[in-house]
Amino acid sequence: MNYLLHILVIICIYLVLGLSLNLIVGYTGLLSLSHAAFYGIGAYIGTLLMMNLGLGFLPSLALAVIGAMLLSLTISIPSLRLKGDYFMLATLGFQIIVFAVLYNWVGLTRGPFGIPGIPRPSLFGFQLRTVGHYLGFSVAVAAICLGLLFLITHSPFGRVLKAIREDEMAAAALGKDTPRLKVVAFSIAAGFAAVSGVLFATYMRYIDPTSFTLMESIFILSVIVIGGTGNVSGPIAGTILLIVLPEALRFLRIPDAIAANMRQVIYGLAIILIMRYRPQGLLGEYRFE
Amino acid sequence: MTVLELNNLSKSFGGVRAVDRVSMGFRKGRITGLIGPNGAGKTTVFNLISGFLKPDEGKISYQDQTITGILPWKVARMGIGRLFQDIHLFPHMRVVDNILAAFQKQTGENPLLALFVRPKVTAEEKNHRGQTQELLRFVGLSDKANELAENLSHGQQKLLSIARLLAAEADVLLMDEPTAGVSPQMVDKILDLIKRLAENGRTVVFIEHNMNVVIEIADWVYFMDNGQVASFGSPDDVLGDPEVRKAYIGV
Ligand SMILES: Nc1ncnc2c1ncn2[C@@H]1O[C@H](COP(=O)(O)OP(=O)(O)OP(=O)(O)O)[C@@H](O)[C@H]1O
Ligand SMILES: [Mg+2]
Repeated sequence: MNYLLHILVIICIYLVLGLSLNLIVGYTGLLSLSHAAFYGIGAYIGTLLMMNLGLGFLPSLALAVIGAMLLSLTISIPSLRLKGDYFMLATLGFQIIVFAVLYNWVGLTRGPFGIPGIPRPSLFGFQLRTVGHYLGFSVAVAAICLGLLFLITHSPFGRVLKAIREDEMAAAALGKDTPRLKVVAFSIAAGFAAVSGVLFATYMRYIDPTSFTLMESIFILSVIVIGGTGNVSGPIAGTILLIVLPEALRFLRIPDAIAANMRQVIYGLAIILIMRYRPQGLLGEYRFE
Repeated sequence: MTVLELNNLSKSFGGVRAVDRVSMGFRKGRITGLIGPNGAGKTTVFNLISGFLKPDEGKISYQDQTITGILPWKVARMGIGRLFQDIHLFPHMRVVDNILAAFQKQTGENPLLALFVRPKVTAEEKNHRGQTQELLRFVGLSDKANELAENLSHGQQKLLSIARLLAAEADVLLMDEPTAGVSPQMVDKILDLIKRLAENGRTVVFIEHNMNVVIEIADWVYFMDNGQVASFGSPDDVLGDPEVRKAYIGV
């Protein structure tokens, strides 16, 4: 039973990751390989504020979001002049740098030793203790994030982002400040990734840099590429598929060592099949060309 | 009144002087035709005005401001809109959304305001949807409102790009071959539209290869050849100019 609840918490975390990345990939039409970096930045800023400065959960969460949004500017402002593949390379570089900092700045992050004993949130006097409590909390946080992302994408802002994705030159010719809009979209996505990071840290109660690697960025990207981008249902389908399917393998009595690798094989295969037969993803509306 | 003025503009690509010391003036409410053989530099002139290219030399003034070298989105904000020779719609967006995206100064383009000032955003959106219906009726695409733009015929795509330009509230309309590749009935429709826009005070500049169209709607014509303005004046004068006839029409 706890195991099922655990999967559901993880799904909540990845829904927020996937749908926020969708703002960049599906709406603005930019490929990003740095989403795990912002996820990690959120997790570490939140954790360090709670553990080193004794801040409460909500202020730590807020500062983690702001921190990730500001750090996103260091990559978006210089590199959004770059087009397509070059932008992706810039995000790749950022992802690698962030991992290196988390891993090597041992004085602050404890590097490879990780940070144990992260406190579970207590909200308005209510201490979250069990996995069940935590699930309720994650569902609430994810619902708020998804609601906000839904409103953001279904607004004139979301429509202009799509216009940029479709034809940036035409959008500029209509008076849209496309570089600024892309910077804003990128920082919003980074902020939501940070929310996921704080959720993850306070749920697992332990973090180390290996949760925030380039592989993780690729995984989040494949979740939405497989599910489909440019709308809401695609990333939801991708999240459920890529998280539930590998877990289901356990019930086939496949040994753990193999099951872990199976996860990689499944999503590798899924990407190949999707790219070949359904480039817009399972339920998406936007296809890469 | 001259709204937009080009002064001695030049632009080279490598060794090619695509635009060579070009000076032109465009008057409010008038329709100016830009003609000339393929490769004469007509589209390059539009790219210079709309900021997609920076001139090597020369000056562009709009309503007594110098706008030379300004970014495209800023030029557009000032009221200079353009149609592209190759249309450039938002293909995977619906026809209505192509137009809705074009309105200027939308409160909801700021995501924070979109979230927290919803009544204002919703009211604006409602207003824009109304205007979109009107624009679609104006260009005769009302029944296509919910189609994806990529599913429209070539002529319909041209009409949509005109409607989108009007939503952006441009006062100067730079139209690169608005009638090219369009059925004869559609040509009439577009010409009728352009005339009405000029009557409403828009300044229209259009690039055209069909001389009948030029004679029908242009008040003034510039003939370009090899990057230079080789002749200008009323359509009759320019098209009657033996130089023009020789260089262009081949008679
Ligand atoms: N971005 C560019 N890079 C290099 N050369 C260019 C570029 N744009 C235009 N040219 C060259 O400049 C010259 C003028 O081109 P332009 O597109 O302005 O002609 P045009 O009058 O619009 O022709 P058409 O009637 O065929 O559309 C041509 O020789 C063209 O090859
Ligand atoms: Mg041209």
